[in-house]
Amino acid sequence: MTKEKNYILEVNNLSKIFDADTEQEKDVLKDVSLKVDRNEFLCMLGPSGCGKTTLLRCIAGFESYKGSVTVNGVERTKPGTDRIMVFQDFNQLFPWKTVEKNIQYPLKLQGIRDKQELKQRTEEVLQKVKLSGQEKYYPYQLSGGMKQRVAIAKALALKPEIILMDEPFAALDAMTRNELQSELLRISMEEKCTFIFITHNIQEAIVLGTRIVVLAEGGRIVVDEKNAIARPVTPASEGYGETWERLHSALYQ
Amino acid sequence: MNDKNRQIHAFAARAVFVIVLLLIWEYVAKSGMMGEKSELIFPSLEAIGDAFIRNFIQGYAGISLWVYIGNSMKLLLEGLLIGVVLAFLLSGLSMVSKIFYDICNLVISVFDLLPGVALLPVVIIIFGVKPGVIVFLVVHAVLWPMSRNVLDGFLAVPQIYVEAGMNMGLKGASLLWGVYFPAATSYIVSGLKVGWARAWRGLLSAEMIFGVASCPGIGLFINQMRTNMNNAEMYATLVVIIMIGLVVQYGVLSPIEKCTVKKWGMSR
Ligand SMILES: Nc1ncnc2c1ncn2[C@@H]1O[C@H](COP(=O)(O)OP(=O)(O)OP(=O)(O)O)[C@@H](O)[C@H]1O
Ligand SMILES: [Mg+2]
Repeated sequence: MTKEKNYILEVNNLSKIFDADTEQEKDVLKDVSLKVDRNEFLCMLGPSGCGKTTLLRCIAGFESYKGSVTVNGVERTKPGTDRIMVFQDFNQLFPWKTVEKNIQYPLKLQGIRDKQELKQRTEEVLQKVKLSGQEKYYPYQLSGGMKQRVAIAKALALKPEIILMDEPFAALDAMTRNELQSELLRISMEEKCTFIFITHNIQEAIVLGTRIVVLAEGGRIVVDEKNAIARPVTPASEGYGETWERLHSALYQ
Repeated sequence: MNDKNRQIHAFAARAVFVIVLLLIWEYVAKSGMMGEKSELIFPSLEAIGDAFIRNFIQGYAGISLWVYIGNSMKLLLEGLLIGVVLAFLLSGLSMVSKIFYDICNLVISVFDLLPGVALLPVVIIIFGVKPGVIVFLVVHAVLWPMSRNVLDGFLAVPQIYVEAGMNMGLKGASLLWGVYFPAATSYIVSGLKVGWARAWRGLLSAEMIFGVASCPGIGLFINQMRTNMNNAEMYATLVVIIMIGLVVQYGVLSPIEKCTVKKWGMSR
């Protein structure tokens, strides 16, 4: 045991069937295995309907499945604060809590009661997502991009092992999206945290990922490579074009 | 600016309407055009105004109307409180157990159809004529619409809030309290509105049908005014009843809405 490499996340032979034993039975994931290193930023690409969201939800513990998911070698079947999910939906913040309370509520649930510490952590993470001073707003007063920033800040405040992100920027306009990409990149390089990031956007995967995985039908992994392009990546970076072509053809083969 | 104008307009129109109405009333009252009963059907505004004050100073049977109001409100609040707590309990348990949910759903649908006053004979046979009967009716009036609303609210909670809650480690009762309740606030508030309206009507009807001597309320008061043909007092009491309704609407329900769903941008 001790000789084995200690991965932060191991997905072993995970299978997921929706509506099992009914007429609409759907084999979405078949025997998916995936090992993720600590502090990796894993970007996951794949055609629509191939099971990316389902895989992420299984890892997060929102779905039942066959197989196992272990975090730090410990099996996890239920949701927990070691794996925090950032959804695509802008409406993932509790509308009845201010930005500040949205961030602090899960911390309080973790047993952090000290007002000073709560305040300090909130300020720290809001600064990371460039939302300092917006503590008192309610979610409905924020733009979509700001809501996603708060969702990221909320995840960071919990200091989870893994942050799971399901196309968090997909519904944003191109400009906001680019901005958030570069901020997430900076954050991911500063934080000691592992990211699994689903996207449809090849550029996004190349810019953000230290590792890129392409899934096909049934969650079959068809590409799994380290992203060797020197950061920060721009379309002018060396190797960008070839990587893009390679991923693109894997995606649409 | 336009909005402001519109408001002033609306206010002026209503004020004129009310004044004209009062003038007509006063004219009819003074002219005695309704014959012998004129004074009974249309007491003059001065008489009603006097009666209004007399209600509070002399009251009936040596007890001021304040006391009657207090009694009614005490029973009403008691019933509301019990009803709301029970409704939360029923809806909460329904979220935990599917079987409980199915049964609860049936019970709510059936009892919601039953006006409280229709239950009076049964309740009196069981409990006798006691203030408890009124409380029972108020509970009955609040419990079913409230439970229905809270349950609907729980079922309408977006899955994403539930999952976000579970992700933070909430489960079972803590999930119910931390996510379902706040997320269903707009439903809970509308349940409260319906519940209050039904309870208030139910309370007045019950009190008019039978007065509880140990705890006489507004319904009993207005009924006594009728039997004694104190019609000016009767009208004055109607005004009081309307005023209580307004106080609850603008003094309690609206503020609750304002500092919850409105503040959170969640109103439906
Ligand atoms: N709750 C569910 N019940 C039944 N089938 C489901 C359910 N959720 C997902 N599926 C099915 O599982 C398959 C994979 O869905 P999933 O959402 O994981 O795809 P995806 O890769 O995330 O797609 P996209 O890129 O469009 O988001 C789809 O065929 C979908 O219809
Ligand atoms: Mg998806």
